Amino acid sequence: MSDWSKVTRPVPVPNEWTRPFWEAAKRGSLELQRCQTCGHFQHPPYATCLKCMSVDLKFEPVRGGGHIYAYTIMYHTGDKRFAPVVPYASIIVELDEAPGALMAGNLLDVPYTEAKVGRRVEVTFEPLNDDITLPQFRLAAATPAR
Amino acid sequence: MWENRCKIAISGVGYSKVSRSAEIPLAAHALAAVKDAVADSGLQIDDIDGLSTYPELPATGHAEVDGISVVSVNCMMAMLKLPSLTWHMQVGSNNIGGAVQTAANALLAGMCKYAVVWRAMHNPKGTYQNLPGAQAAGPLQFTAPYGFGGPGQHMAVAYTRYLERHNQSRDKMVTLALTQRKHTQHNPHAYFYGTPLTREDYFNSRMVAHPFCLFDCDIPVQGAVAIVMTTAERARDLKPQPAYLAGYGQRLHFEVAGRIGSLANYMEGGASSAKLTWERSGFSPKDVDVAQIYDGFSASVIYGLESYGFCKEGEALDFIQDGRIELDGDLPLNTFGGSLGTGRIHGLWHIIEGALQASGRAGSRQVKDVNVSFVGASAPIVTGTTFIFVREPY
Repeated sequence: MSDWSKVTRPVPVPNEWTRPFWEAAKRGSLELQRCQTCGHFQHPPYATCLKCMSVDLKFEPVRGGGHIYAYTIMYHTGDKRFAPVVPYASIIVELDEAPGALMAGNLLDVPYTEAKVGRRVEVTFEPLNDDITLPQFRLAAATPAR
Repeated sequence: MWENRCKIAISGVGYSKVSRSAEIPLAAHALAAVKDAVADSGLQIDDIDGLSTYPELPATGHAEVDGISVVSVNCMMAMLKLPSLTWHMQVGSNNIGGAVQTAANALLAGMCKYAVVWRAMHNPKGTYQNLPGAQAAGPLQFTAPYGFGGPGQHMAVAYTRYLERHNQSRDKMVTLALTQRKHTQHNPHAYFYGTPLTREDYFNSRMVAHPFCLFDCDIPVQGAVAIVMTTAERARDLKPQPAYLAGYGQRLHFEVAGRIGSLANYMEGGASSAKLTWERSGFSPKDVDVAQIYDGFSASVIYGLESYGFCKEGEALDFIQDGRIELDGDLPLNTFGGSLGTGRIHGLWHIIEGALQASGRAGSRQVKDVNVSFVGASAPIVTGTTFIFVREPY
């Protein structure tokens, strides 16, 4: 199992579009950009609603449950910071409440072989420093064995 | 159908030496390729009056230095000092296929008579894809902290989704890798010319980003290729048999920076570009005699075959089996070896091969009785473009 305590991750730099996302994550809440006109959730944040062109966008909390939309197992050690955890699973998650809004993460607490398309996951939070907390994912509690 | 079909042609083609590392500045590679293409047409450098390129360096975390790691239009102007130059354009949103398309448009509009398009590719020292340092800004803030580095991983996530959704096996991709490497042995300009690949090599190679092993990824190289484009009328007076441009298209599906892994983006991107190309040329996939489909990563070919309409979604890994993509198969594919064989020079080499096959100039790898030659010049998701070249104007 990958021991992520051995990795010094690049630290996200919030900008005017993304700051509310990172401020929410610091509070232990997953909040995504939502169109106040048509209700569409999207991620990463964008200037306009990619569904209806509205510019009336706010961040709203989501429960953080979803499924693995896609994944890769990384073997290449080009970035030496991640070399201690190779092979590791980087996953793409589609949240129940935000179809089409794909979030990246790692699959924590289980061997990389547990990454499969369609498996249920839930959000968890990994503090990087005093300012930035990273939303992450682990298998959902009630995942049936396949 | 497009009223300008077959009014523009690719005439000469040219190559620099392709090597693993940069012994000479990239500008010298680009100059060699351009001179070679002009000579192939039987023209003089001073006849060239149009220039276009796409100069991006796809490596991450390396400086773009004109003449060393990229070769801009400005750099080529400085080197060639063309006395009759009347038009130039450097493109951004459509990769190298966009440079070819915009040169075709300039020729149609009478802005120039003989346009040269080149693609020069640098192989920087050290790790090709350098993740950001201690901080991840911009779109990378949502990917780099999780260890997502370069395009390989971005494409790998879509590939796992493809394989598991369609109940397919990555083992079938060996056929693509072996067939393309076989084709490479007919292309003396290619990096892997003279280096065969076996089934054992493929299955024993190291994993890069599952499901991609080493031989699913094109090798970074230093080199350049170039073409001469002109009107059909002028092309008929030049040395080579012209390859007539029957139609082209570009990706119309948008991407969101930092949103990765979407298989739908590949499929909708490819379908939108191909639809324009089929409509403009009047052909359909069943009319195609030979195809070149961009293969920076092997899975791009699979998405291409499906999204362009050569086979149904989920079937491409079966479609490529049983000799279908061999030189004498139903759909000879990446007959010059593809990027997997030539090294990473991007899609202009696919366009060159599409033109050579249409004009009957592909030498020992020439497919018999080619009229309709299809090219998908970039990964469908990333600034994809598509082309059809024909031997017989219609």
